[in-house]
Amino acid sequence: MTEPGLGAAILEHEQTGRPDSDAIDATLAASGDASAFERLYRHHVPRIYSLVRRMLDDDDADEVTQDVFVRAWQKLGTFRGEAAFGTWLHRLAVNVILARREMLGTRRKRYIEGDAVLEVLPTRRPGPELTMDFESAMERLPDGAREIFVLHDVEGYRHEEIAQMLGLATGTSKSQLHRARLALRRHLER
Amino acid sequence: MLLTLAAAVLTLAAAQQVDTTVAAQRGQRLQVNAFGGDVTVRSWNRDAVQIQTSTPGRQRVEVSASATSISVRTQGRRGQHTEVDLRISAPAWMPVTLSGVHTNATLEGIRAPISVETVEGEINVNGGDGLISLRSVQGSVALRGAKGRISVYSVNEDVQVTSSAGEIMAETVNGEITLEGVDAANVDANTVNGDIAYAGPIRNGGRYSFSTHNGDITLTVAEGSNANVAVSTFNGEFESEFPVPLSGTRKGKGFTFTLGTGSAQVTLESFQGTIELVRPGGRKDRERRERRED
Amino acid sequence: MSDRWVERLSEYLDGELPVAERAALEAHLESCSDCRAILAGLRRVAARAHSMELQAPRHDLWPGIARRIGATPARDTPAGRRWSFSLPELAAAAVVLMTLSGGAVWINRSNISAPAIAPVATGSGLPTPTPAIHANRSAAQSYAAAVADLEQVLAGGRGQLDSTTVRVIEQNLAVIDRAIAQAQRALNADPANLYLNTHLAETMRRKLDLLRQAATLVPVS
Repeated sequence: MTEPGLGAAILEHEQTGRPDSDAIDATLAASGDASAFERLYRHHVPRIYSLVRRMLDDDDADEVTQDVFVRAWQKLGTFRGEAAFGTWLHRLAVNVILARREMLGTRRKRYIEGDAVLEVLPTRRPGPELTMDFESAMERLPDGAREIFVLHDVEGYRHEEIAQMLGLATGTSKSQLHRARLALRRHLER
Repeated sequence: MLLTLAAAVLTLAAAQQVDTTVAAQRGQRLQVNAFGGDVTVRSWNRDAVQIQTSTPGRQRVEVSASATSISVRTQGRRGQHTEVDLRISAPAWMPVTLSGVHTNATLEGIRAPISVETVEGEINVNGGDGLISLRSVQGSVALRGAKGRISVYSVNEDVQVTSSAGEIMAETVNGEITLEGVDAANVDANTVNGDIAYAGPIRNGGRYSFSTHNGDITLTVAEGSNANVAVSTFNGEFESEFPVPLSGTRKGKGFTFTLGTGSAQVTLESFQGTIELVRPGGRKDRERRERRED
Repeated sequence: MSDRWVERLSEYLDGELPVAERAALEAHLESCSDCRAILAGLRRVAARAHSMELQAPRHDLWPGIARRIGATPARDTPAGRRWSFSLPELAAAAVVLMTLSGGAVWINRSNISAPAIAPVATGSGLPTPTPAIHANRSAAQSYAAAVADLEQVLAGGRGQLDSTTVRVIEQNLAVIDRAIAQAQRALNADPANLYLNTHLAETMRRKLDLLRQAATLVPVS
């Protein structure tokens, strides 16, 4: 049984799009209707852009967000409608993001074992003028822990799903999440 | 009983079984028109054509011969679907033309030109020498062990050519095209909705053209191939297990590059799919084989 | 502080601890204030993450996406027909070729595209196309006429064809039409693109071919 907060967060994210209109627009877009696809874009870009920004760095966010939608357009033929369009699009976005990481090869140390995660972020509490906000702290996490934290706590994926997407053991996903949370809590203690 | 037909028509209307053999001579081709059913043509050592059928029910099998052909025709009454299974044995040197609507065609061991046309049936040919044309609307087409000018076509299903040599033209609208173990100097593979996979030597001076709208293209290229490769795509991606200059490829424009001396001309076009250059036995090649075996 | 318990805190928070361990951990929490503090911290982090706001991109990304998927609106040209005014000259030349040549024609790409063409740039390095608007309009007309004729034959003969055959042909015509529409839009945005020209022509040929083939299936009474 999961924490009540988690379910509510997912609903909050998805309430921007009415499911029925998504399904209709997806069908139209799949047969080449670009205006329908634009509507889908407008509904879903906040969620996708936020995901991209949280998983990658700011510089690439615009371009990768575009990549996601272009890829979605290409792959619309494979969207069967079993899941909500937003869910399908989100999965696709995760794949595009992971592929982007691989291509750029800009991996900082990917999965840091044990307590070393905690050392990546400053341990001393900074003064007010140097306050690092939560988002920035997230960005400083090692890539792997950051991905897992975003996918689990921000986006609401389960460990099994994350493990499959990232090609990891579920246990690794859980321990990395724990490490990320431990590291980040210091930036909330105000 | 061996029959020699001049201009006579032998009509076989049998309730149970038909089994007749007709002498054949060089210069004759075998012509089969079967509205429906399974038609199998196998080669044998005799200079004769044997026609057998054991489909129960009323059928009419017309066998006629002229100087240039031995013709086998199954007839139904107008408006009726006649499904007659024909087993035919013919000399390997005899060219075969087969046409039907609901007809599945299987040919084995013919070492001569072959032409098969069906609407709803599958085509399976092992053999063929010379001009080979296999066309189906709704069924798949599979050819192996052929040599010559090969043309395979299906509207809705997959076409496959393996272990064959010569010039190859393969086209589908909705199906996959698989060309494997083909030794060809001229290849043209074209589909709208399907994937294309090619694995075979790239001959010096050859022309290889692969084009799809929605599908992926996987080209397995051996080390030491010499080719000038032109990649065109609108929205698709390009991946290569060969070192290739990748500047400017991300946004889907066209580019060319050279392998070895650049002797052959290779054109890879996918409007919005992925184009992949793969090494034989490399990781992607293995993965693809594993996926196919599922 | 015993690490053994701390390690389990996230799983406990997410409700993923097996029942027995959960009971043991809860027992431990009653007596360990450090663990309780850490648990509270983890809970705050998770809650903070759950409530993160969505952020839209600073610039509208749609124009870039539209361009890449070929969705920008067609340019205006003087010709009249719906799709012909966006048929660039090179494609028109190819269409003339295939419409007039009848029968099954394989477009030999060497006729149409220059081999080994450098990265397709807009506007430069194109072979000079054959006659301008004249070929354009007549090519468009011949193609449209051919398609219309064949569609008529097909419509007339539908009843005599097997229903699955009709369905397969219609589905595949739809596949080709979709591809034509996509290629067309892409070409509208980039009319000098050699690949898109030949691709559109080739896809239109596929439609013509399929219609011809379908027409031959209609039994002659």
